[in-house]
Amino acid sequence: MKKIWVVIVNVFIMISMVVFVFIYASTETKAITQSQIENFENSTVTMEQVTENYLKGEQRICDVWAHYINSEDMTMEEATSFIRVSHVLKNASAHLLYLDTQTGKSTKPKTGTTDEYDVSYSNLGLLNDLSWVHEIGTSINVSRAYTNPINGEQSIAFCNYITLKESGEAKDSILLRVLPVAELKDNWVFLKEKFENAELSIIDANGNYIIKGNSFKNSSFFEFYKSYNNIDSTKAQVLFNKITSETGSLTMYNSRHEECIVAYTPFNATGGWALLSLMPKKDLIVDTENWFLIGVITSGLIILFIFDLIVMLTFNKKLQLTAKEADSANKAKTIFLSTMSHDIRTPMNAIIGLTTITEKNLENEKIVAENLRKINLASNHLLTLINDILDISKVESGKLNFVPQSFSIVKTVENLMNLSQPMIKEKNIDFSFHISRMDKEYLYADQLRLNQIYINILSNAIKYTEPGGKVSVDMKEEESEKEGCVRLTYKVSDTGIGMSPEFMANMYQPFSRQTDSRINSIQGTGLGLAITKQMVDLMGGTIECESELGKGTTFTVILDIPIAEHQRSEMKLNSMDVLIVDDDEVLLETAVDTLESLGLKAEKAGSGLEALGMIKHREGTGKNYDIVIIDLKMPDVDGIETIRRIRSEVKTNVPILLISAYSWDDVEEKAKEAGVNGFLSKPLFRSTLYDKISEIVGSEVTSTEPESDYSDIEGMHVLVAEDNDINWEIISALLSMYGITSERAENGRICLEKIKEAKKDTYSLIFMDIQMPEMNGLDATKAIRALEDPWASKIPIVAMTADAFSENIEECLNAGMNGHIAKPIDIKLVIKVIRRIKEESKK
Amino acid sequence: MRKLFRTALSIISISFLVSCNGNTPGETSDEFKPSLNTDTECEITIVGSYDNFEALEAEFDRFNVYYPNVSLTYEKIDDYNNVIGSVLEREEKPNIFFSYTWMMGNSKYDSVIDHMENLSDSSLKLNLDCIRPGLLSHDSNNNVLMVPVFSRTYGTLVNENLFKKENLKVPETWTELLNVCKSFSDKGYKSPMMGYTAKSSSYLMNTIAYPSFVAELANNPTALNLANNLDPSAGQYLRSSLEKVKALVDNGAIDVEECDKIADNYNKVILRFFEGDVPMMVCAGDTVSGTKKRESQSEAFVASPFDYSFYPIPSTEKGGYFIDSPSIEFSINKRCDDLEMTREFMRFLVSTKELNNMASLKRLVTPTKEMSFDSVYAPFGKVPQERTFSPEVIGIKDPLTAQVRIAALKVGRKTLTVDEAVAQYGALRE
Repeated sequence: MKKIWVVIVNVFIMISMVVFVFIYASTETKAITQSQIENFENSTVTMEQVTENYLKGEQRICDVWAHYINSEDMTMEEATSFIRVSHVLKNASAHLLYLDTQTGKSTKPKTGTTDEYDVSYSNLGLLNDLSWVHEIGTSINVSRAYTNPINGEQSIAFCNYITLKESGEAKDSILLRVLPVAELKDNWVFLKEKFENAELSIIDANGNYIIKGNSFKNSSFFEFYKSYNNIDSTKAQVLFNKITSETGSLTMYNSRHEECIVAYTPFNATGGWALLSLMPKKDLIVDTENWFLIGVITSGLIILFIFDLIVMLTFNKKLQLTAKEADSANKAKTIFLSTMSHDIRTPMNAIIGLTTITEKNLENEKIVAENLRKINLASNHLLTLINDILDISKVESGKLNFVPQSFSIVKTVENLMNLSQPMIKEKNIDFSFHISRMDKEYLYADQLRLNQIYINILSNAIKYTEPGGKVSVDMKEEESEKEGCVRLTYKVSDTGIGMSPEFMANMYQPFSRQTDSRINSIQGTGLGLAITKQMVDLMGGTIECESELGKGTTFTVILDIPIAEHQRSEMKLNSMDVLIVDDDEVLLETAVDTLESLGLKAEKAGSGLEALGMIKHREGTGKNYDIVIIDLKMPDVDGIETIRRIRSEVKTNVPILLISAYSWDDVEEKAKEAGVNGFLSKPLFRSTLYDKISEIVGSEVTSTEPESDYSDIEGMHVLVAEDNDINWEIISALLSMYGITSERAENGRICLEKIKEAKKDTYSLIFMDIQMPEMNGLDATKAIRALEDPWASKIPIVAMTADAFSENIEECLNAGMNGHIAKPIDIKLVIKVIRRIKEESKK
Repeated sequence: MRKLFRTALSIISISFLVSCNGNTPGETSDEFKPSLNTDTECEITIVGSYDNFEALEAEFDRFNVYYPNVSLTYEKIDDYNNVIGSVLEREEKPNIFFSYTWMMGNSKYDSVIDHMENLSDSSLKLNLDCIRPGLLSHDSNNNVLMVPVFSRTYGTLVNENLFKKENLKVPETWTELLNVCKSFSDKGYKSPMMGYTAKSSSYLMNTIAYPSFVAELANNPTALNLANNLDPSAGQYLRSSLEKVKALVDNGAIDVEECDKIADNYNKVILRFFEGDVPMMVCAGDTVSGTKKRESQSEAFVASPFDYSFYPIPSTEKGGYFIDSPSIEFSINKRCDDLEMTREFMRFLVSTKELNNMASLKRLVTPTKEMSFDSVYAPFGKVPQERTFSPEVIGIKDPLTAQVRIAALKVGRKTLTVDEAVAQYGALRE
């Protein structure tokens, strides 16, 4: 589901819930409000009944008076006197008026007077139309509110026709029992507390107020309604008829534009009158719309939504990342396969092509030799590639095991130099290798892996440096924080193509190769740095790189390496005067230091001419140098020319050693002709100098280096399970070179049978191929390990297979094998394994 | 388009009047600031003769914004002029009551005058400066006892559609008036000019005669003095006014018999005008105030609405007069309860903003210096200053106006000739 839909669905659910709560609360509010309105209407009806009873009561008093006055045939004065006597209410009064003149007497005097009882209604207009006055006892004859002309109070009057005697004649008159509205209003309120803000009014059939509450505006309720509420005249008339004839309620706006509820009910005993009660709607509505609750729910949902959204987005981001990584891994796999295909096919093409050419030119030894050399190079490259893949596999699966052993760092460096020389020579690279004092020659580590690290870095420097460029190596030994170790710093600097920061960020990733137009083709597998980094990390060391595109690169590897138990015996020489000649100041400094540590007195010269001068000077003093060490490549006068001059200009036949970081092949002959006594490869290790100087001066050289003696393995007899005839032929031939005899088993089943049939100690070990017909190597091993014969079941078995990945090795070991050798086989490695197994079997 | 033009004209007129009558120095700001505790609870009652006073009730609501707990009530008093004395003395005394300039000097209203507070007392801080000076009356002690809340003028409602229909121009001069009336008569209109004629309080005759007479006296102090003293010799100054009444009746512009069918001076006058067949309905501004509300009450008007305006009657060849006099005035009953809050309400009400607001709602002319005419009064905006008179400023007294009213009615009804009416000036009775 798309993200937007998830958001939409969430928002929809959220809004739906809030709307539901809102609608529910609104419905509740409406129901309660409706109930309140009905209650309000009922209260109004009750008020109408109370009011009507009150009006009836007051009317009855008026009726009684009128009836009595009529029955007694009274004059105006007599009637007035009678009523004064009957009156009990303080604020009530009565007016008796002749109908013809609308004048008469009041029972109370005019305000501000004590004896003015005359009263006139002629200007009031109240009595112009008396249709609302009915016969005594038939109805409530109550007037609208009007201004009492006697006291100015707003009043209502209960009326009855009476007959008064005047001058002996009966005269139609009217009796008004007058009550102040204020008094009525004071006692005329809703009883229920919740309707205390309700205001009451009584209107007549025309909407005119009989009694008017404060909130009722205008002189007519109908006008009041029309003034503040939009309604056309037809609808208004229908509404107003309803108000004066039915019980109900309506909603209207008052003068403040507030919504009000008006409950109305008609008076039964009066013509067209209605009781109205009005109150603001807000006072009537019980708000059940719990906005706080709605707010909390809304906020909660929004927070939940946002939280879910964040979680979802984070989860999605992770998924995207994972998918990207998977995609990237997939692409890497494709690239890997593609690269492998390319990288394997390239040397294979050379091997196949050159083999074909060679087959056609077998009679031409020169071509055969050259092609074999090239085939060998291509084979080595292919092997390196395969080994690198295997290493990467091992590293990535965490199965890379180090096999530490005692080794000479001098030999390691020599090996490094030897391996580098062809390329240095080919590219004419200005190469230098400096070492500071290297006290500990023998160290204890996995020499192969260390070599691999150093070779990788150095070969990269050479590969990525243009012809004529410069590569320098600095190696120094320092004290290590780790007990029993030395800190070996290996620093390789070049003036090559350098690397961009972008490339450096990923340079330890497999198949990363910096390309440059100056480098014609891909130089390596692209796995070297990745392997190197992993190995350095596994060895607990550090690898650092400084590089600038176009200017060069410097790699620094620092490793803490344990010191081997056995070191060379004290290397001391008899005191001799040595002159060392080189244009390299650093080399001079370190060489002087090393020579002096051997007990020699060393002097240095920066050039051939200076050396010649110094030698001549010594000759003059009779104290000749005992040995002169001269660098091959020096500006102006090189090493050979210097030797030539020494030999020609100095009589003393001082031993001269020629030193160089380059191969001797091209200069060896010339040097010998010039009179050199020996050659010495840079860097100048202490032991190298010691051995060479001892040799030159005729001292006995003793070394603790173990001899390469294969007598320990001579005469061994091994069983080789190998289905491939060529492979069998190769291994059998190689082993025989070391005096080891071998017997073939064509597959695992035959191997198993041979072991079963063999007598004890017939075979020293078994080299077992894995993929074989009938029975594979793994099954055969398991079967052998399951044999009852203790010798047979414990016989050392070493896998010798092209299945070189870590899981293959693991499978072999799990099947009960004692080791693993990958094809193509390195005979030295085979010998090493044989020795190890032999050592283990002795234990 | 015509309405738009009229509205624009009104705005221009108002702007002109405002610029002419700009605030006098010392006039205080119109912004009301409560000076009492706004939580005060009390009741204020205003009594008057209006059946309805929605404009005032709107002011109650506005006042309640400041004083929400003050309950204000308007109460209509029956037979106001006769009962007001008692009303002021009753147990629950009204706080504010309608008052009229004619009450001053009339002994019948001595007790009423006695209840009036001096509104010019500086301690009351009433902004009397906002009122046009000509509308303010002073007693013998130069005190202001009543404040006008509306201004009254006299003129005629004109059915604009009818003039348009008959292709006639609203008259601007006396001759044009006579001609227009004749034209209408010729076209079958029974009484081109109508109005209430039943009683002396009639506006019809008086509205024709009174403005001319006031104009006559305005520039003649001697005549004014004689007229105020009801000296018979002042009758001669009334002659020309009465002759105009006579001329209109004789000319057929006014059919008294037809006018007598109008039962009262207010409601019926308006409803008759809304019948749509009366070109000109003569009345006072007070009557015009009721027109808006009655538009919906008149079935004829609802069925066939028309445009109408209130014009001065062109009683001269230069045009008509604008008689600017107070309509309703308010006085404070100094013996009422809650006198301080009563004064506070008057302070609130007597301001350009509130009085103009009330005049607008009531459709009457405001008494303030910033006159804001309803569009229906737009023609009065055209009346130049030299034809605008304030009877109170001139010094015209009520007995004089009564004589003019009776004389005009009697001449109009032909119960007196012009000569008889002139001769009987000062002694004319209903």
